[in-house]
Amino acid sequence: MYEFSTLGWVRHVCFHPTEGFEDLRWKKQGSVKLSLFIVLLLFIAMVANNRMVGFAFNTNTVKVFNVVPLVVQSVVYFATWVIGNWCICTLLDGEGTLKKICIYSAYALVPYILCSYAAVILSNFLILEEAIWVNFFNYLGMGWSIVLMISAMKAVHQYSLIKTLISIVLTLVAMLLILFLAILLLSLFQQVYVFVYTIYTEIAYRIRG
Amino acid sequence: MNGFKFSVRKLISLSLAACTALSMMSVTAFADEPYRPYTYDNWDTAIPSQAGYTVKRTVTGKDMRLDKLSDPADPLFYNEEASDSLSEARDFFVYDDKEIWVADTGNSRILRLNTDFEVTGRYYFINGPTKLDPSAGEIALTEDGTGSMLKEPQGLFVMKSPTTGKQTIFIADYANARVVRASVDSATQLTMEQEYIKPTEKLYTSKTFNPTKVIVDYAENVYAVVKSVNTGSVQFKKDGSFTGFYGANRVEVTAKVVAQKLWRKVASNAQIEGMTRNVPVEYANFDIDNEGFIYTVTEVSTDTDAVKKINPAGYNIWDNVVGNDYNFGDHTDAVWDMATKKTYATKLTDIAISDEGLINVLDFETGRVFQYDRLCNLICIFGTKNSAADQRGSFSSPNAVEALDDYVIVLEGAKTRNDITVFERTSFGENLHKAFSYYDEGLYVEASPYWNEVIKRDGGYTYAHIGLGKADLKNHEYRKAMKRFKIANDKKDYDKAFEYYREQWLQDHFTLIAIVLLGLVVLSIVVKIIRSNGITRLRRRMMEVD
Repeated sequence: MYEFSTLGWVRHVCFHPTEGFEDLRWKKQGSVKLSLFIVLLLFIAMVANNRMVGFAFNTNTVKVFNVVPLVVQSVVYFATWVIGNWCICTLLDGEGTLKKICIYSAYALVPYILCSYAAVILSNFLILEEAIWVNFFNYLGMGWSIVLMISAMKAVHQYSLIKTLISIVLTLVAMLLILFLAILLLSLFQQVYVFVYTIYTEIAYRIRG
Repeated sequence: MNGFKFSVRKLISLSLAACTALSMMSVTAFADEPYRPYTYDNWDTAIPSQAGYTVKRTVTGKDMRLDKLSDPADPLFYNEEASDSLSEARDFFVYDDKEIWVADTGNSRILRLNTDFEVTGRYYFINGPTKLDPSAGEIALTEDGTGSMLKEPQGLFVMKSPTTGKQTIFIADYANARVVRASVDSATQLTMEQEYIKPTEKLYTSKTFNPTKVIVDYAENVYAVVKSVNTGSVQFKKDGSFTGFYGANRVEVTAKVVAQKLWRKVASNAQIEGMTRNVPVEYANFDIDNEGFIYTVTEVSTDTDAVKKINPAGYNIWDNVVGNDYNFGDHTDAVWDMATKKTYATKLTDIAISDEGLINVLDFETGRVFQYDRLCNLICIFGTKNSAADQRGSFSSPNAVEALDDYVIVLEGAKTRNDITVFERTSFGENLHKAFSYYDEGLYVEASPYWNEVIKRDGGYTYAHIGLGKADLKNHEYRKAMKRFKIANDKKDYDKAFEYYREQWLQDHFTLIAIVLLGLVVLSIVVKIIRSNGITRLRRRMMEVD
């Protein structure tokens, strides 16, 4: 029973929100490579949402395009989610390893990614009066992925539903902490860099006389 | 060796000199405004544009021949000491595109100029009895006692009275605390017809009555902006009776106002008495258009009621609270000016509606005139603040703006400099006006040649792209229209164009779409049949053969 290819497993977990991840865990399936590819797809979906959405639907400032916020919103958020969840759930007797959390979270994101691609494509053929279809796909993807994410976290850590929800809230707090510390660190290192650079210029001037 | 070095140096210096000389020549041929013309695009960012107006001339008191007033041989002679320049003039008014009336506030007189800006009339006093008491020092009478002097008139309005048929002037006689209605008898004589003084009704709560601006509607009701009265303009009937206030501003909702409102709920009466009251700002100036709408401007740096268009019921048509998006003045709260190294906040001080319905709004702080069409689309911006060098087209205290034919005139009333600047339309501005007048009537195709001229001079002009796009839409060229709207970042019109384009595309390609759909259905059926029967049976048979 349940002999699927790697992609087949993704399909299975997506269409079996309650049992899919338990099966995945039982069969010890899931590929890190594929999950990283899914995160890449998430990033591409974000870029597409910014650049290729139908002109009338585009609420972004199209005058300038900056890829950094999109990287942060996809790759960095995902990484902090995985690390934060691992940190919290190790303390809360979760059974998931870092690798498993990464795989299961990525699989749970698949409906969101596919639906946002669908919405982007649709928005090029629809007018604003029919915007409800674009919104429908966006909300569908988001809702589906949230349900899958809860199920995935429940399966990977073998929690009850209540404990899962608590751990997710704590994970969000942990993500905020991680990002805050990262920004702090970044600005500190920037100051160190400026300091070193100032000393370098000072010395350079002295040597030149 | 030394000689060679010397010759190289000589060569370099010579060529440098030639370069500077050449570049100097090109500089001298370059005459321009003392500012960079700009406009706003659909992203609300300021972008460089072409000048819609350029300075034609500046008119000082000398150019107006104000020396006539102190020349005993001239019919306009008043006395030997009459000043030959304006002094802190606060307001002027264009009558029928023929006469310019100036309230020369500092000299306590009214001047009448012709279209060449030469003085044709001067008025220091008004003949006829006054309601005010000269013995109490409220007003000064003329020497023969039959008339009353003007004192610091700040605003005026001139019209041909529909009832008397005479040219009638209304003067906001600021320091005398009255508004005067007088008929214009000659170049020097005004005769009092009505005097509007401080109302005695309880409704009028202010202690003082110092009118700064005045306008009159077709029913000859008088509206006066009165200093430190913030409940709207004071309205009088023709017979001089006070009828109430008109078109008050609202209090702008800021965090401070909300906080105070909450405090008032919990504070005791004694505490409330100690609090400052939140009152609206009185408006700075107003104008009336041909249709009887009154336009007001308020000198606040925010957008609550900065510019209003009030209908006869006192209701503001340009109300952003009910979902409109009208924007006047600079779109930024504060503007950093490179030339003067100062930050300026918008302070709209005067508004003038031309006969074509163009709206000119004057910003006191930046010295800029913002011109809008009748639908409040920004046409162009011109004028600037005075920098250290006093240049034509720059102002230090611009007090009033008016439209005179195709010209826009701005009154400068600083302590040190008093003149009228005449702005002339450039060919760019002319094309803009023609294009906008067609555009506002919905004649998009007729407007398009003018928009093309505009685009030739300024390829980034947003309304030109929108106008051309709408013309394309009317010509059923939806693809082109979509391109135009995309450039202008006009999502609403783009969506409309796309809707038509999609409809047209579906109609044009209906046969193809039908065939493809039909083909797909047939193909899927065939595949199904082959899968369920043919292939499996074929395979089984082959396996049997094996």
